[in-house]
Formats: sequence, structure tokens, C-alpha cells
Amino acid sequence: MTAKFPEEADIVRKMKDTIGEEIVEAKIPRPRRILIQVRRNAFKKAIQYLTQKANFTHISTITGIDVGDEIEAIYHLSRDGKIELSLKVRTPKDNPVLPTITDIIPGATLYEREVHDLLGVMFEGHPDLSPLVLPEGWPPDVYPLRKEWTIEEIEKEVAKGGKR
Amino acid sequence: MPYPTIRIPFGPQHPALKEPEYFMFEVEGEYVVDVKPRIGYAHRGIEKAAENRTFIQDLYLIEHACGICSDAHTTCFTQVIEEILGVGIPARAKFIRTIIAELERIHSHSLWVGLAAHEIGFDTLFMYVWRDREIVMDLLELVSGNRVHYAINTLGGVRRDIAPEKSEKIKKGLDVLQERMKYYKEIGETEQTVLKRTAKIGILRPEDALALCAVGPTLRASGIKHDVRADDPYIAYDEIPFEVVTYDECDVLSRLLVRCDEMRESINIIRYALDHLPGGEISVKVPRRVPEGEAVGRVEAPRGELIHYARTNGTTKPERYMLRCPTLGNIPSVCKMLVGGYIADIPIVLAGIDPCFACMDRMAFVDVNKDKRWIWSGEELRKYGINWYQKE
Amino acid sequence: MAMVKELLRHIFRKPVTLKYPFEKSKPAEGMRGRPIWDMERCVGCELCFRDCPSGAIEMIGRGSEAEFKHHLDRCIFCGRCEEVCPTNAIKMTEDYELASYDRAEMIIDFKRTRNESI
Repeated sequence: MTAKFPEEADIVRKMKDTIGEEIVEAKIPRPRRILIQVRRNAFKKAIQYLTQKANFTHISTITGIDVGDEIEAIYHLSRDGKIELSLKVRTPKDNPVLPTITDIIPGATLYEREVHDLLGVMFEGHPDLSPLVLPEGWPPDVYPLRKEWTIEEIEKEVAKGGKR
Repeated sequence: MPYPTIRIPFGPQHPALKEPEYFMFEVEGEYVVDVKPRIGYAHRGIEKAAENRTFIQDLYLIEHACGICSDAHTTCFTQVIEEILGVGIPARAKFIRTIIAELERIHSHSLWVGLAAHEIGFDTLFMYVWRDREIVMDLLELVSGNRVHYAINTLGGVRRDIAPEKSEKIKKGLDVLQERMKYYKEIGETEQTVLKRTAKIGILRPEDALALCAVGPTLRASGIKHDVRADDPYIAYDEIPFEVVTYDECDVLSRLLVRCDEMRESINIIRYALDHLPGGEISVKVPRRVPEGEAVGRVEAPRGELIHYARTNGTTKPERYMLRCPTLGNIPSVCKMLVGGYIADIPIVLAGIDPCFACMDRMAFVDVNKDKRWIWSGEELRKYGINWYQKE
Repeated sequence: MAMVKELLRHIFRKPVTLKYPFEKSKPAEGMRGRPIWDMERCVGCELCFRDCPSGAIEMIGRGSEAEFKHHLDRCIFCGRCEEVCPTNAIKMTEDYELASYDRAEMIIDFKRTRNESI
């Protein structure tokens, strides 16, 4: 794997030199794609390294996934529009908190608001976490993209009413 | 002394709205001081719905996320799922996908040129461009069976072939289109109405564009040479030579010229692809059950970089499917562009990013100095802009 | 005034708008309109019913007894049913004038004819 994609392998190696054992997993599935999972306590350091030293300054989006008893947030960053690096970090579902990255990349504000709306993740330090895609009058604590909220249950809960 | 901002809620159902949206402006006299967006009125829960449907049903669901960039969505979807499956599609299918993707780009950009002309009050240009756009719509109906939502892509290749007679008709249509688009670009560069309303309006400096993560022609009009087709090639773009278009003026006129030049490049790409169309099959069979895995797909939609992410769990339905449309990436930039401009420039600046939800519904205005609040409909805002520039 | 020459050229031409429904444009060949089922060929394999993205196909009975109700108000005219049918029993016609004031007209029945032996 290392010999086939030298540029990507170089990026992964430099990340490992900086973050070390906080990297849970690193994969290079094909040219121009890297997937790295880091532990939550090294997340901010990883973002700072990637944006300031490794030149991954463009954020494409933030995906939130419900993986059982944790919520995984994937930050899709790209360098010069060429290499796409997906940085994965997990946080427990009963208290999902992640540090914001809007102080480093201002363009991430709307993506963090969307993940907050649909999955309930709190981003510490975000300037304005008001609802982005859910309407006013949405019942509190109903996070549509969590697996326990099926479409029928969401409809029942919304029909009951409830302020946000 | 600053006055507090007020949120005035209004429903998405209104006769004046094309697609719903909400911006809250703070104004001082004629200048816009601050703007807060609120989107989500057309949110349909596609990502949640995709988890309950099989992959082939999801292909058509994802296609209906947008009417103008529907082919970009299916190209990205098939890119992601085919990567997880590990199948390669035949060479002929790659070229046919490229041809349809570029025809869609021409259709989308000519739609935008007409709409931008409508926003500045130049309805004549709007009507002429949309008349010529019918050529592209008829070609797309000939090749794929429908004028929008072409459904030409499928998992494993494409569904319809391009026979030689159709190829001839496409080339004839492209010849006419090339002449017309050259003429409209000339109008954009020389017509006084267009220049006065678009030159030096809606400035987005390159460092702001990069910091706020803008995508697509908005970014390329600020001089940054990023295009997913050239940087991260997919389907047949690594085999077809083309140019990435940039302009340096960072205003709405640059965005207009970028799109006109991209149409010219698209016409050249289609001609090259038709001349070099490889033989062979148009699709391969793929299994219905997708193994466990995940993949990220990126495509250059007409509006910018489109990104999809999928995670599968070995069943016939996806575990999670995420799509991010390019307009969401351009909203922070549009807020930056609007501050410091006149109220009269709001319609054309909002239209300049080519929003996939129509920008001009209702705006709540708060005049900071006079403590006045009033609401305008899109029609009223457009008329205000036209009158304001006519008086100048 | 860059458009003046263009505008003068068009003074004596007629408008390009077609006065539908009195003037209609012919759809291109292969245009995806309403699908129809040929019940002679249908074997009731359920593939069209399972693959329909919007649930527009309703099956009554199974196998060689299967009959269909097609819901026009749910159909997205994608052509997946035509593509997946193993016996080519489904064909997309060029019929696109499907609007109606009555919901009941939106459901099209496809039944099997039974040969009566005397």
C-alpha cells in the first residue's frame, strides 16, 4: 500500500510522527483518498496540524454517523482540491461534545450547525448554534439521523407538537 | 447605538416564492451592514430516506435531490457505490457519462445566464438565452428520454447508448450553440446595462474565498484554479483535454464570464468525446448486496464541488449516505459579499453564486438608524434594484 | 446597445412559443412516458414491484396470477421497471399528457384476460 501511493503515504507518515499513538486507524483505499481515525483528545491537535502545517485548508463537509453508543463525526478536508482526507473522531452518544474548528477554518460554521441539528452534537466554542435545517416548532431532543428515531416515530412525536 | 435584531418568521408557502429561503438583513440607509441566513425550507430528509431503500432505489432518490444538477448527483452516487463494490465500468460508459455531464453543465449555465439577466431587469437577454437553451434540452431528451432527471447512469455503467445518428444530431446542435454562446458572452462584455450592474459588484477576495471554503465558479472567478475535473479526475476527464477557466476580477461579471467560458469548454469536451467514443459494452452487472465498506466521492457539479459519502454494512441498504450540495458551501461567502454593498445589489449578488434554492424570497429589513422594520417580496426587491440603477 | 442588430433581425419573425394545446411539439423517440404492462408476457416475478423507487406499482396476486395497479401520481417515470423486467413485458410509451382532475383516473389497472373454454 505504501509503495503504490507515495504522496498519500507520506502524509499519513507525517501525521503519525505528529500525533503518534492517538491514531486508531489509517487507510489509503485509492489514489487521492485517505481515511484516518483519531482519538477525541488528539482531535484538535490533528486539525491544527492538518490545516496549518500540511496545507489541508479546504473543508468540504462534516458527516455525522450514529454508530450505536457513539456518534462519529467525519471531517472531509482537501488540499488544493486534490487529495481528500477524511478525519474521523468518535464521541459518546449520551454526552456528545466536540471542540469547534471555526476558529481555524471559518467555512465550517454551517456544517457544524447541521450536525448539531440532526444528531445533537454540541460544538464547544461555536459562535451560533441556532437551528439550520430543522424548523421552528421542532420538538426538543428529536435528532432525526439517530438510529433510534425511525421515520414513523418522528412523525408521531412531531404530531404531538412541542416547542423548540 | 445599535438596535437589537428581530427575527420575523414567515412560512415557506407563499405565492411569491420559487424556492424558500430566509435572510435577515441589517441596513444603514442604503448600505447592508450585516446579514444572517436561515435555510432548510426545502429540507426533505433525503439522507434519512436513503437508509430505508435499496441501492438501486436510492439511485433515483438521490437523483431527485436537485432538478438542474441531477446528473452530477447520480455520477457521484455511482462513483461511491462502485468504489465500495470494487467494479470498474467499461470505457464506453465513462465517455457517455462524460457527454451527459457536460450537456448538463451547458444547460445549467445557460439557465443561469438567463436568470442573472432577469435579476438585473434585462428580460430580453433572458428570453433569448432560454430560447437557445431549448436546443440542449431537446438533445438531452433525444439521448436520455427526458429533459430533466436524465436517469442515464446506473450502477455498473449507463442505461442507453448513443447511436451514430444521435451523435450527428448532437454535433449539429452544438455548432448552433457555440455561435449563440459566443454572442451572449460578447453581450456580457460590451452591453452597458450588464456592465453597470455586474462590474465591481459582490467582491470576494481570494483569501476570503479560501478561508470560507467557497466552491465552483464563485471560487474560480476569484482567480483560484480549483476544479474537481482536473484535480481529482473521474469518469473520462483524465483522457479528455480541457482548460480550467479562471478570471481575476472577483466580481459578478467575472462569474458571468467564467460560466460563459465553461460552456465553450464543455462544447469542446463533448465534441472530443463523441469523436473518440470507444466501442464495447455500456454496462456491467453488479450484485444487489454491497459488502461492508465506506467511500468518498467528489464530482464537479455545475455549481461547484459536490461530495457524497457512503457507509455500507453488507446488506442491500446503506448504513449512512451523506450528500453535500455545493450551494451550502457558498453561503458563508455570499454573506461576506453582501456586507458593504447597496440594497439594490442584493438580487444579483445572491444570484451570482447560482444558488440551487432560489435566493430571492422575502427579506426582513431592519433600518438601524431609523428603527424601521419592513418586509419585501422578491419581486419588490428586484424592481427596487432596477429603479435605483435607472435613476443613477 | 449590443443587442440591437439581433432584435432588428427578429422583427419579422414569428414568436417561438408553441400555443399548446393547439400546437404540440413531438417528443423525441425513446422519451420516457407512461409505462404499460403486456400481461401476456408477465410471469409475476415481482422484480418491478420490488425495484420501483417510489412504490408506484401495486401487485395483486403472485406468479402467473399477478395483476397490477400502476399509480400515476407516484410514478417518477424513471424506467427502472422496463429495464429490470426479464420478459420485456413493460414498455415506456410516449404518453405524457396524464393530468386529470380526478384521483381515481391516476390508477391504471392491468388485468389478465382469461380464455373462456366453451
